[in-house]
Amino acid sequence: ENAPQTEAKNTAKPATAATLDRDSTCTTCHDENESKPILSIYQTAHGNKADSRTPSCQSCHGDSAKHLSNKSAAPDVIFGTKSVGSHAPSEAKDQNKACLTCHDKDAKRTHWEASVHQTADVACTSCHETHTAHDKVRDKKTQPDVCFACHKDQRTQINKFSHHPIGEGKVACSDCHNPHGSAGPKLLNKNTVTETCYTCHADKRGPFLWEHQPVTEDCTNCHTPHGSNITPLLKSRAPFMCQECHDGPHQSKAPAAGNVEGTQGGLTSVPNESFAGRACMNCHSMVHGSNHPAGALLQR
Amino acid sequence: LSAYAADDADALTKPSSSVDFGVLYSSQDSARFGQYNGLNKKGFYGLGGFDVRGGDGYDRDKNSALRWKLNGSDLGTTSRNMGASIGEQGKWKFGIGYDELRHNITDTFQTPYREDTGGNNFTLPANFGGTNGGVIPASRGLTPTQLSAFHTEKEYSTRRNGSVGATFSFTDSLSAQIDYNHLEQSGAKLIGTGSQAGINLLGGSTGRAEAVAMIMNPTSSSTDNINAALNWVGDKAHLTAGYYGSLFHDDYNSLNWQTQQTTAASNCVGINCYVNNSMSTAPSNSFHQANLSGGYDFSSTTKLVGGFSYGYNKQNDNYAPTLIPQISRNTPNPYNMMQANGLPTTSLNGVVETTHGDIKLTNKSIKDLNLSAGFKFDERDNRTDSNTYKYMQIANVAYTGVNTPYSNRKLQYEAAADYRLAKGQNLNLTYLHESLKRWCSSVVGGAECVSSPASEEDKISLTYRLKLIESVNFNAGYTYADRRADTTNFLANAGNYAVVTPVSGSAFNAGNYQGFVAYPYASRSQNVGKAGVNWQVTQKLDLALNGRYSYDDYDAQLGVQNGQSAAVNVDATYNYTDDGSVSAYWSWQNGQRNLTSGAVNNGVAAFTPSQIIAPKNIWSNKLDDNSQAFGLLAKQGGLLGGKLELIGDLSYSLDTTTYATDVPYLTTCATPASLTCGVVSPIKNELISLKLTGNYKIVENGKLSLSYMYQKLNSNDYFYNSQQFGYTPNRVMPNGLQDQDYTVNVVALSYNHKF
Repeated sequence: ENAPQTEAKNTAKPATAATLDRDSTCTTCHDENESKPILSIYQTAHGNKADSRTPSCQSCHGDSAKHLSNKSAAPDVIFGTKSVGSHAPSEAKDQNKACLTCHDKDAKRTHWEASVHQTADVACTSCHETHTAHDKVRDKKTQPDVCFACHKDQRTQINKFSHHPIGEGKVACSDCHNPHGSAGPKLLNKNTVTETCYTCHADKRGPFLWEHQPVTEDCTNCHTPHGSNITPLLKSRAPFMCQECHDGPHQSKAPAAGNVEGTQGGLTSVPNESFAGRACMNCHSMVHGSNHPAGALLQR
Repeated sequence: LSAYAADDADALTKPSSSVDFGVLYSSQDSARFGQYNGLNKKGFYGLGGFDVRGGDGYDRDKNSALRWKLNGSDLGTTSRNMGASIGEQGKWKFGIGYDELRHNITDTFQTPYREDTGGNNFTLPANFGGTNGGVIPASRGLTPTQLSAFHTEKEYSTRRNGSVGATFSFTDSLSAQIDYNHLEQSGAKLIGTGSQAGINLLGGSTGRAEAVAMIMNPTSSSTDNINAALNWVGDKAHLTAGYYGSLFHDDYNSLNWQTQQTTAASNCVGINCYVNNSMSTAPSNSFHQANLSGGYDFSSTTKLVGGFSYGYNKQNDNYAPTLIPQISRNTPNPYNMMQANGLPTTSLNGVVETTHGDIKLTNKSIKDLNLSAGFKFDERDNRTDSNTYKYMQIANVAYTGVNTPYSNRKLQYEAAADYRLAKGQNLNLTYLHESLKRWCSSVVGGAECVSSPASEEDKISLTYRLKLIESVNFNAGYTYADRRADTTNFLANAGNYAVVTPVSGSAFNAGNYQGFVAYPYASRSQNVGKAGVNWQVTQKLDLALNGRYSYDDYDAQLGVQNGQSAAVNVDATYNYTDDGSVSAYWSWQNGQRNLTSGAVNNGVAAFTPSQIIAPKNIWSNKLDDNSQAFGLLAKQGGLLGGKLELIGDLSYSLDTTTYATDVPYLTTCATPASLTCGVVSPIKNELISLKLTGNYKIVENGKLSLSYMYQKLNSNDYFYNSQQFGYTPNRVMPNGLQDQDYTVNVVALSYNHKF
């Protein structure tokens, strides 16, 4: 939250006093008695009047001449996703146009046009609250709830037995994803899945002497990052997971079933270390790659 | 509403600062409950947090854009964080931060090894003695002396992250930004270790191979990340030139431990008869990346954006020792893991160059039609040398390995059209073609090293969005993808290169049976459908329903045959007053995977993996992953004249994972002695959580919060069976790891003061 934020581009704007004067056209009626915190926008970056770029009410909501002459008429631009009283929100493209007047040119929004959120008519105000000092989507602890309003599968997955500390407020969706568009898959911050994961898991980057091909290509070949019933964030459990790619060497060819449960599961013979517990990874524990000269089989 | 109505305009326009402090009590020791929240121990915790803001930039009468902020939260736990920032908006900004997170893994791990968490040299007590892996654990037993050596170690990994960042605007159109963070990690995570105990012993015998023990692999490392960027913004264009650096340093390059397991034949049973072992840890490495991205507006309706990145990843950490000193009285000292002249170099000098390029053109010049066309290029070029490494593998068998540095290149071409059929009605059509190449450069022997050297994929998506009426939004989408993978001529350098035969044996199809294809590299067709509806029934009531289904079909005689996933989510929110609301959700998810594989040749010895598997030897396995979750959240404010707010949050989730194996060619597979077919007991995790919070405004700026949380986890996982004393496989050291069930009650009282 304390990281410097990308600044809006500098465009010609009225001086501070003039901006406040223009605001007063609206704040004369829309005051502290509003059901929504209209005036608290002055606590936000959009209310820092000494910044020559700071907008007035009309900069975003339009001159709204009809509204000024007839209070029951809607202002030019109504933000949000729900109807308020008799006023329906403006179309997403019209809402976003107001925001992009200043925020359309910076590295974080370079790929907004034709991005999955843009084409799905997601409005800036679908996620951002511009009139409050605390914009939930820019707070690590509250951001996930904003994203889960649409991404409901992930809302369930982050509470699974194995998960990143998202619900605990230590990892946010935006640590991996850029909702404003990106050059990577799934709106990832980096160009590839592996590059994104390495920002925190640099120990898996290598390059290793003995590489594991699917590991070098895509972490999600084995892991599911939003949550799993199998630790650590695995799509499946060894030996079954390993057998999805191996059917020959060592015990990978052998069918496994109740024997993975060991003696307590009813097995009368001695449990096999290739099936029980960590199974294959009892010995082949360097599945992300080994840098040992005697570790070709990812055992060292 | 009442909260705001009670405030005056000044309170709304001036910065709101707050400080809170209090105490929390947790009723149970539980590493699982405290996995990430720092509440892993029973007892009292201090609560503390602050958010203080100020600066003339908040004063409308002063012509200053200067604002500053101090914040901190969870100060009384190991999940604490703090930060500070100051800046003159539009000109400069400076920020610092500190974030701490302790990942509590388990508090039931038992080990006889002598080493603190975070160390890398694990030794056994001198009087521990040997154990014979040749007999079953129950009869082998551990002596009272050996059992007394076991002690509990709490497994955890702590992350401390310090950051500093700054931005500066040189002119209206030119600004610079730099962020730096230093991440320190300490602690350990459990890792399986197969011993090379099969070393030569006097008399020509060998020590027992594959003696397995779980070791506390140290996570003693640091990562420095640097992000620097220079941003230029013009009227029609913008450009950002940046640098990203990531430097990972591991304090260790090896993990060392002793194995007590030997055989009677070795004359090596008793005091000090241990085999010393060593394996590698994550190597230190560096990554430097230059980035360039920007865009140009040809007109208000036609825009071009693109980017280019070049990354240089190097790893040249010294190899872990291969000469392992032995204290066993009968073993060669030291034991050389490598064969004569088997070590071509003392470090890898590994280099991977990553290159990325992307360009996208968007056009809105035709009314109601948005068009886009894009191209992406991603390459991982592993320039590491390939060499031959001759060593003694884990069972003391001579092994020749050839490292195969993997490279790949992905090209993506995308075209999309979004057409507005009518107001509130859109149709989106997207086509994507992906071309993927894989290779290894200059591999010793020159054989094809990769699974699926090439693949081509076409994907087409159709999405329809409809605003049925102002209060009802509907969307539906369908995606079809067809991946055609080249799996021919695959002769991996996997396996023991010394015995590789080009048309069969360990190198053929990576040692897999003919017709087997690993699922990431198989030809595949994919169908995905999804739909959803959001209905604002009234100003107070919102309903939502959405679902998705996907089906993947793999073209492989052996391997994963198909997989499917489905999900349904139902949401309802009722804001019955401005101060009161109730919201509920229900979520169901299911995933399945069907695998067909080939087993050993039904009793026939010396079966060569490269042979075509006989139909009678086919077996199958089905994964079934189910998840259900329910949540209910209720809020009621405005009580007692607007002084009291009550919040209730109830959630329940049940996740089960089941494996079913069918082996038709074995009529005896379900016997208690084998259990190679049938259904595995579900891996089950059931979580119930209830949190009740009351916030009472005792003074104008002071709020007292009392909260109670009940959380219960019912966990049932067969994984732990084989970790117990007397129930392990022959050569596995028990560790007593237990299921991580818990029932925790938490009470917290805190005071929040605003000023």
